[in-house]
Amino acid sequence: MTLLAVENLHVEVDGKPILNGLSLAVPAGQVHAVMGPNGSGKSTFANVLAGRPDYTVTAGSVAMDGEQLLDLAPEERARKGLFLAFQYPVEIPGVSNMEFLKAATDAQAKAAGQQAPSAVEFIGRARQAAADLRLSADFLKRGVNEGFSGGEKKRNEILQLLLLRPRLAILDETDSGLDIDALKVVAAGINAFRAAHNAVVLVTHYQRLLDHVVPDRIHVLAGGGIVRSGDKSLAHALEAKGYGWLDS
Amino acid sequence: MAGSTAEATALARRLSERGEDAARYAPWFDRGRCREALAGNGLPRFHAEAWRHTNPRPWYAAALGANGGGADVRVQAPPGVDVATFDEPRAADLFARHSGDILDPAEHPLAAVNGLLLGAGVVVHAPAGLQAATPVRIDGLGAAFQHVLVVAQPGAALTVLETPSAFAHRVVECVVAAGARLTHLRRQDASGGCECSLVAATVAEGGRYELAQLSKGAALRRNDLVARIDGPNAGAHIRAAWRLDDGHLDNQVRISHAEGGGTSRQTYRGVAGGRSRAVLNGAIHIAPGADGSDASLTAKNLLTSATAQVFAKPALEINASDVKCAHGATVGALDEEAVLYLRSRGIGESDARDLLVRAFLAEAIVDEEGARSLGLSG
Amino acid sequence: MPSSNPAIDALVNREYAAGFVTDIDAETLPPGLDESVVRAISAKNQEPEWLTAWRLDALDRWRAMQPPRWAHVAFPDIDFQAISYYSAPKGERPKSLDDVDPALLRTYEKLGVPLHERARLAGVEAPQADTEGLASRGPAAPVAVDAVFDSVSIATTFKDELAKAGVVFCSISEAVREHPDLVRKYLGSVVPKPDNFYAALNSAVFSDGSFVYVPKHTRCPMEVATQFRINAENTGQFERTLIIADEGAYVSYLEGCTAPMRDENQLHAAVVELVALEDAEIKYSTVQNWYPGDEHGRGGIYNFVTKRGACLGARSKISWTQVETGSAITWKYPSVVLRGADSVGEFHSVALTHNRQQADTGTKMIHIGPRTKSTIVSKGISAGHSQNSYRGLVRINRGAAGARNHTQCDSLLIGDHCGAHTFPYIESNRPGAVIEHEATTSKVSDEQLFLCQQRGLDAEKAVAMIVNGFCKDVFRTLPMEFAVEAAQLLEVSLEGAVG
Repeated sequence: MTLLAVENLHVEVDGKPILNGLSLAVPAGQVHAVMGPNGSGKSTFANVLAGRPDYTVTAGSVAMDGEQLLDLAPEERARKGLFLAFQYPVEIPGVSNMEFLKAATDAQAKAAGQQAPSAVEFIGRARQAAADLRLSADFLKRGVNEGFSGGEKKRNEILQLLLLRPRLAILDETDSGLDIDALKVVAAGINAFRAAHNAVVLVTHYQRLLDHVVPDRIHVLAGGGIVRSGDKSLAHALEAKGYGWLDS
Repeated sequence: MAGSTAEATALARRLSERGEDAARYAPWFDRGRCREALAGNGLPRFHAEAWRHTNPRPWYAAALGANGGGADVRVQAPPGVDVATFDEPRAADLFARHSGDILDPAEHPLAAVNGLLLGAGVVVHAPAGLQAATPVRIDGLGAAFQHVLVVAQPGAALTVLETPSAFAHRVVECVVAAGARLTHLRRQDASGGCECSLVAATVAEGGRYELAQLSKGAALRRNDLVARIDGPNAGAHIRAAWRLDDGHLDNQVRISHAEGGGTSRQTYRGVAGGRSRAVLNGAIHIAPGADGSDASLTAKNLLTSATAQVFAKPALEINASDVKCAHGATVGALDEEAVLYLRSRGIGESDARDLLVRAFLAEAIVDEEGARSLGLSG
Repeated sequence: MPSSNPAIDALVNREYAAGFVTDIDAETLPPGLDESVVRAISAKNQEPEWLTAWRLDALDRWRAMQPPRWAHVAFPDIDFQAISYYSAPKGERPKSLDDVDPALLRTYEKLGVPLHERARLAGVEAPQADTEGLASRGPAAPVAVDAVFDSVSIATTFKDELAKAGVVFCSISEAVREHPDLVRKYLGSVVPKPDNFYAALNSAVFSDGSFVYVPKHTRCPMEVATQFRINAENTGQFERTLIIADEGAYVSYLEGCTAPMRDENQLHAAVVELVALEDAEIKYSTVQNWYPGDEHGRGGIYNFVTKRGACLGARSKISWTQVETGSAITWKYPSVVLRGADSVGEFHSVALTHNRQQADTGTKMIHIGPRTKSTIVSKGISAGHSQNSYRGLVRINRGAAGARNHTQCDSLLIGDHCGAHTFPYIESNRPGAVIEHEATTSKVSDEQLFLCQQRGLDAEKAVAMIVNGFCKDVFRTLPMEFAVEAAQLLEVSLEGAVG
């Protein structure tokens, strides 16, 4: 069954068209990669799904589990299970990572009509997730992304992914700025998250993450729309021949 | 004005008696508004906020004794830069066209006094696109009360150097047009006298104003600087270094971001020793709506004697939210570990201290030659 | 105000929760200030002659003074003859809690400060030690409360229990009668009568306030608190607080303030004096929630307060923590005079201004003794059309060898119509002393809001969380129970602030 259905999506930023009729369907249980050169609209696509202000949708629809998303506030989308791993996670000084994660978990549990985990249970879960991502325990006490290295910020996004357990994860250039060890840790986190009931959209410029998180489908985004789709071999063709190959 | 000293009262009276006809030098200069400003606001008085640590009284006394005009103008300029003294007809025209609104005598009473006692003035004009090969040197203007207007037209690049001998009671107005660059070097030597100066700079879009000021102490030395960022990508960098063995130095700086998207930096390094007194007031002002402004100030002071004093007041006045503004100020002593380290390598103690003091000052020094001449750098 | 975030625009201003009026018969002096008013106040408190003379001297000095005009605040001149200087509930002063008018007891109940000797905020649990920023809660500790209603103290709880430890906690009018030597020795010793215009006024007309004396080598067994309430209309509140920690003593004192919502401004001009002798420590925490006025700037309290502590003894310590969310205008600089060798002064402040509020607040750290240390942490939050200024003085005198100060001033701006200003004054007369000052300015960014919202938090909660994070260094220094109250107050004060 289709978890994410994007149809004919047109998006403008400051009056400038960025996406021009993008369509994409991601079934539950699958990982799809969206690849494309710089400026092709990859980040716009990821952000517009999450509802970032300043992006104007001029046409098209986005549905998750059959429910229309575009009229919902960012937090409402999040509470329905949509998660965006940010390309450039912002710092929030003084707000501890743990406090932030608990508040988000509680807000989402409340929206789902579920009992929020107790502080003790949650702390245990968070510490385990941090350990899995090879993050030291004091990482959870530090301010959200405050003074984190680029790699730590990306791992923090995956930590949140593992704790919030969304239905749909959109990872925006999560592999950029990671060394090979960190890339493996992050990939292991994503693989641990994969399950039959959820789906992942990997937005990336390079195929190197795809060596570790093997996608079911690959889509190439260019000029604001999907120009080609295929299986994982498409990534290797792109890597070998470059994006220019698509134009020839 | 309540609390004014006798000198201030006498000076105010003398200035008010100075009729328009008494102003024989540069009669076109608008003294009316100076007189008005003085009548309205009076003269600053000791302990008022801007004169918290500097008593203006000696300055009033000096102003009362000042002689009028006389022109022994010693200004050297590279080819292409037009220099016109105020008694040349074209100076009046250049002045009228370029002197702006930043030097409002109502806000700067000392500028009003300066205007009323004006004895020498010069306009330095760099036409559009001119890349001046050598600095304009202002060695002296021959009268006690002086006014300098420096204009860098669009795209021009110019360096102005004010040398120690030139200082008296001087107003310097700097107009930096779009895309122009003005480097302003000031050297202030030790003096037993009393000197006040006021620098007012405006920087248009894409322009850049750089001030590098080196000071020793004087019996009373007061430097006021106001700079206004008037457009996007306009920048100002103020560097001031001082090393006082004696005397009094009061630097009052206010950088105002009137338009957004500009950048300002203030870098101060000061050493107060002997029986000196160093005052720094450095303000960053962001006007409402000046979003995207980026302003910072750092002021570091060394206090090296039990009879010296340091007063520092960095201030932020922020009226727009999308800005990057910060300041930092310290007062401290030389790192004794570093002194010991140098001595352990065979350097004598006083040399070691001198070396460290110079290194401390170096961050605020771009005018190496000036720094050497004033003994501020090695 | 328009905002880029419609979720924030949708937030509604919640009402000032403490804005009710208690309907009670009051005995109020007619407006105006002269010698007879000062004598009348003194007589009502049954004061000895020396104190009446002290007040009259203050009145003389006040008459020769001008109100300070250097602060970054603007308001019309106050007509000091139009204010009433004394108002108190009618009848005999209650001798014990049982005698207190039930209407007054209900007032304090409503303010969350029940005047009975059970745990304060019974039923509500106070948080305990944090685990990685997550508060867990345990039972609240009891707090002794002095309740000051307009011009008089109406009740003081846990007096007997404190007395067992030798601690004196009572209203200052009672202290004048019961402990005249202590009062006479220290009253005006830290804030002299002619210190400033409002201190002089207070010295002439102060009516009540709290008095604490902690004897030598005694740790006060519970936190002591004063809850100030302005109720009467057209009346100023001029309380006077004096806290003395004798050698080796320790006390933690809390102060809360509220007032009804009115369209007129009301003046509150308090003086607080702290005295710490050798090895003593005083921790003074304020949550100031005077009525701030409405969104158009109508009404609200003028909070013109002089607070100062003297570290007289060696190794003594005075620490001020303030959370300022209320008042139309705040003019307040809790200070420490560091006289004793190795004494320590601290100032931790959160000042939030919203709507048309104006705050000019900070501290003074005067280093006189050798190796004295001071720390200043100031967090200013400006929203709406408010003006928020930090003003602080750090002075190192010639005898303060090895003195150190560290100051951190941070401003957070919410919206484009407010101002955030920083005016630190640094003065050093001593080589070898070290002063460090840093200030920054930031805003609640759209990026931060979006990250929080993407994780499922609504905008209101996100802003509160970001602001709380900004203030964390100060909240850490508050007693636990107060920290929770402060965080909640901040959240309420900020409602509708963004955009």
